[in-house]
Order: sequence, then structure tokens, then C-alpha cells
Amino acid sequence: MATGVRKAVYPLFQLGGPQLRIFRPNFFMLAVRPGVPQPEDTVQFRVSMEMTKVDIKNYLEKIYNVPVAAVRTRIQYGANNKRNHKNQRVKKPDYKVAYVQLGQGQTFQFPNLFPEKEQDAEARSFDDFKDKYMEREKQRQKGDPRRGGVPDWFGL
Amino acid sequence: MAAFGGRRLLWHGRCWFSQTESSVSSQPSDSLYPPIVASATAKSKAAKRRRLEHFNQRVHAAASIEEKLRLYGQLQRPKYMVYPQTFALNADRWYRSFTKTVFVPGLPPAAVAPEAAKAPEPAAAAPGAAKSPEAAAEAAPNLDVDELRSLACDALLQESFYQNKKRPFLYRDQDHTPGPFLTQLVSTLAAFLCGRNPLLAASSLDLKPEVNYYWHHGEEVVVHGHRKGRVDPVRFQIDDNPHLQIRVPKQLPEIVPLDSDLGDVPVIDHKPSKLPLFKKQYENKVFIGSKVADPCCYGHTQFHLIPDKLKRERFLRVNLEDQIEVLYRANGIASLFAWTAAQAMYQGFWNEADVTRPFVSQAVVTDGRYFAFFCYQLNTLALTVETIQNNPRKNICWGTDSQPLYDVVEDGNVKGFNDEVLLKLVHFLLNRPKEL
Repeated sequence: MATGVRKAVYPLFQLGGPQLRIFRPNFFMLAVRPGVPQPEDTVQFRVSMEMTKVDIKNYLEKIYNVPVAAVRTRIQYGANNKRNHKNQRVKKPDYKVAYVQLGQGQTFQFPNLFPEKEQDAEARSFDDFKDKYMEREKQRQKGDPRRGGVPDWFGL
Repeated sequence: MAAFGGRRLLWHGRCWFSQTESSVSSQPSDSLYPPIVASATAKSKAAKRRRLEHFNQRVHAAASIEEKLRLYGQLQRPKYMVYPQTFALNADRWYRSFTKTVFVPGLPPAAVAPEAAKAPEPAAAAPGAAKSPEAAAEAAPNLDVDELRSLACDALLQESFYQNKKRPFLYRDQDHTPGPFLTQLVSTLAAFLCGRNPLLAASSLDLKPEVNYYWHHGEEVVVHGHRKGRVDPVRFQIDDNPHLQIRVPKQLPEIVPLDSDLGDVPVIDHKPSKLPLFKKQYENKVFIGSKVADPCCYGHTQFHLIPDKLKRERFLRVNLEDQIEVLYRANGIASLFAWTAAQAMYQGFWNEADVTRPFVSQAVVTDGRYFAFFCYQLNTLALTVETIQNNPRKNICWGTDSQPLYDVVEDGNVKGFNDEVLLKLVHFLLNRPKEL
């Protein structure tokens, strides 16, 4: 901690005056994959509970240059039914969901974040070998098929 | 597939229903045993179908139109409320998919005038083409454009300049000047044109009427509640309040034949709630503006006023200029579909008994200065899942973009008066069946 640093004093800002400070908003927006299919121009976000529709519109337009045509929000109540080892109720946190409709005919499709990787020939042959080995092990564990699943120790 | 309802009441102690069944295996009529049919009360698909069939027969056999409408809307369930005047983005595309409507830009090529001497020249000869000024000059001996213009300007100046009104209350601008201006304009023009169009003389002009229609379209699975998991039809209800409405005793002529195909109907896979559209459960009303016994049971023209919340300036402020035309189109399509379909139901047609002749109506959507004209031809009412499968017919809506009637009113003068818009309006009012 630096000693002797005095907090800088800025003049009060009034409309039209010089902008000496820039405040970064303390809000965060998280783009999520919609649980139910949404129209192509709709993007779903989880936003801070204190954000309003106007805030969301300005946030996206000013910071990310995304044209926003309409915003609808709702608050998702987090359930309070689960219990911990002390039988106390554990609440899942509430969060606000925003459905943003993009302007100028833009569309958005939530990307697939975990695509299937192409396996090269080596990996594929190793997987085949592994599957065959597991199959052989299972066959060895099983008893004589003529006994119809009855264990070995049963009998005379 | 859920029936429209009424199936729960009549199964106890009534044995006549067994004779109404048509799905009987072939048995000679002198057989000792009753016909073998599926159960009517079991929890099975055959029983469901049988109840549905019984309900349809009850509606077909209803004694009067009121009884038919009562049975049609008897079962109340949550339904989507469709508002014709909506701020939702791209609402006209969604509404076209709900009502199986094709939108054709521009007005239809007007019907050939029966006697050239009597009728005025059509205002819109080709879709979207500008009207030729010569046509107006030729029709001058029959249709005095100056007289009409002076009537319109008088109404406008009276409402906005001469009459001393206090300042409009907050968000009541539309009721202050454009509303009374529209009423005055339409009533004076209709009275002036009565001589030319005898249909107008027999018409009925409604002020702020109510128009309602209830229909099913498509299917969905019930998400929560005690009916979870069942497959239900998607129900819609339009409750519209046009500013003015002209109802006539004779129907307007068809514009194109019943089975014409003028375009495609958009298919939207998403649920209507994504529009956004919300559900509520209340009375399933079908109403054209007057009760069934009224002789003026066909529609002629509706006039809609855009409310303050949906004015042009609001759209321009949030950079949504393209949605202005969407609003006008959505209003035209939804309101006219509800009106024409309700008129068809008043004549006894419904989705199992599809219309045999097209129902035509017109509408003018305005915010006081900008006017947009719409024509609608209802070719089919069969929009439910069973009836839409083999139904190639589509409803058709013609519509124009909004054009200003005048630029500004200053010092007792109307600047920039647009004769084309006025002539289109007059042409709409003069529309009549060929016999008259």
C-alpha cells in the first residue's frame, strides 16, 4: 500500500463540461444459451439484478456497438428447497434474464462451445483396441453361456 | 387434440348418441346387436376422436347462429391475446402465419366499373402505381375532386384551427384532433357519396365499435399445470376497437377467385409467446360490431386510429423506422382477418364448414396525417390442425404504405394536400357489389 497518496479531487461534472473521468459500469452481462428455442434475432443474457431495460440497451449500444431494437427482462427466482448437511435450506441465487432483440436485421446463433474433435487415425485405432480389450475382459468375467447366467459356485 | 368442448355434459343417460356414429363396421340394418363403436368415455385416442366428432355434429346441427357461436366458444382455456396495434417487432410476419394470410403490396387492380358514366375511374390501376391525373380530370363531371378536397380541408381546419380547444391532456393527442377529424371526414364523405353509391345509403356507421374473433391454429404441448403433457390446439383471440366502421347489408364482390394463390404464408417454428404474446383465459367472443339479427351483417370499411404510444415520432426516436410500416400492416391484417372471419361465422361458416364464397372488407389505418389502405379477402376459415392439412386456400391482404394526406396546417390553410390519398379513400367508400 503506497503511503502519502492523496485521493485526487476532480471538479463536479455538469452537462456540457469537460469529461475528465470515465466511469466503467459495475454491471456484467453474460450471454447464455437459451433453454427454449428463441427467434433468430433474440439473444439471451443473464444480467445484474439492478440493471434496467434502458441500462441494457445503452450498455450494448455504447460499449459493444450492437444495435438493439427491443429488450425484455424477467427475474428468475432461485429455488430454496435444497437442504445441506445441517438440514438448513440452501438458496440458489436469483438472477435477471434479458431477451435482447437485435436491430438492423441482425441475427445471432449461440455457438457450440464444445465441438466434437476430429480424431486422427492413431487415436481411432487406439480406441478400437481399447473397446476390443474391454469386450474380451467382459467375456472372461461371464461364465459358461450354456449355464444361462447361473454362477459357478452353484452346483455339486 | 382437444375438442372445442361441451363433450362432458351429455354422455350420461343418453343413448341417442350411438346412432349418430358413422364409423360403424358394416352391419346389416336388421342386426340384433347394437353397432360396434369405440367407447365415448375411455381415456383413449379413439374415444377422444369420437367425442370430437360428436361435438362437431352438435355444432353443425345447431338451431341458430347464436347457438352455434355459443357452442363454438363454450370451452374456455388460456389463449393468446392478439393485439392488432402492437409495438412488437416484425409483428406482421407473425400475424400472417397465425391467420394464413398472403400479403400483396399495393391495392388490387380495381374491379372494372360497371358503367363508365356512373362510376369514377379507379384510383389505383396497378399495384403501387401512381394514379394518373388524367383519370381524375375525366371523372370530374361525375366526381368533383375540388368539392371533395374542400370537404376534407373543412373538416381538418374545423378540428385543428377554427375550433378553440384547450391543450390536449398528456398522451391524449390522438383523441384531441386526429380522432374527431377522422370521424367528421368519413361521415361527411359518406353522406356526400350516398347518391353515387346506394350501398352507403343503406349502411350503418358505427363509432368505436368492438370486433372480436376467436380461433385455433396449430398445436402445442401444455407445459405446466394439471393438464401437463397433453396436446392442445393453440388458441387466439382478437379484441379490436376500430375508430369507425361501416357495415352494409350486401357483401362486397370478390377480388380474386376463391382458390387463388398469390404468394406464400410465412411459417414460424417458434411459440407465439416469443413475439411477445401473452395468454389469458376469458370469454371466447365472436362479434362484428352488431348482433346476428342486424340486417347490416357484412363489412365494408373500417377506420383505425393509431394510439399515442405508437406514434411515428416514438419509432423514429429509437431508430426503428422500418417498424412503422410493420405496425400499419399488422393492424390491417389482424383487424380485417378478425372482422371478415366474424362476418363468415355470422353466416354459419366455421372451421369444419369452410366458407363457400370469399368475404371481402377494407380498412384504412391512419394516425391523423398518414393514411394506409388495406383490402382483405377471406378465403378460408379452416386453420385448425385437422382442417388445415388438405386446405390449399389462403387468405389474401392487399395493402399500401402510409402516405401523408397533407403536410401541415398553418394559419387556416392546409399546405401540401395530397389528392391521391383522398381519391383512394373515396374509391374505397364507393366500392359496391356489381348489381347495384
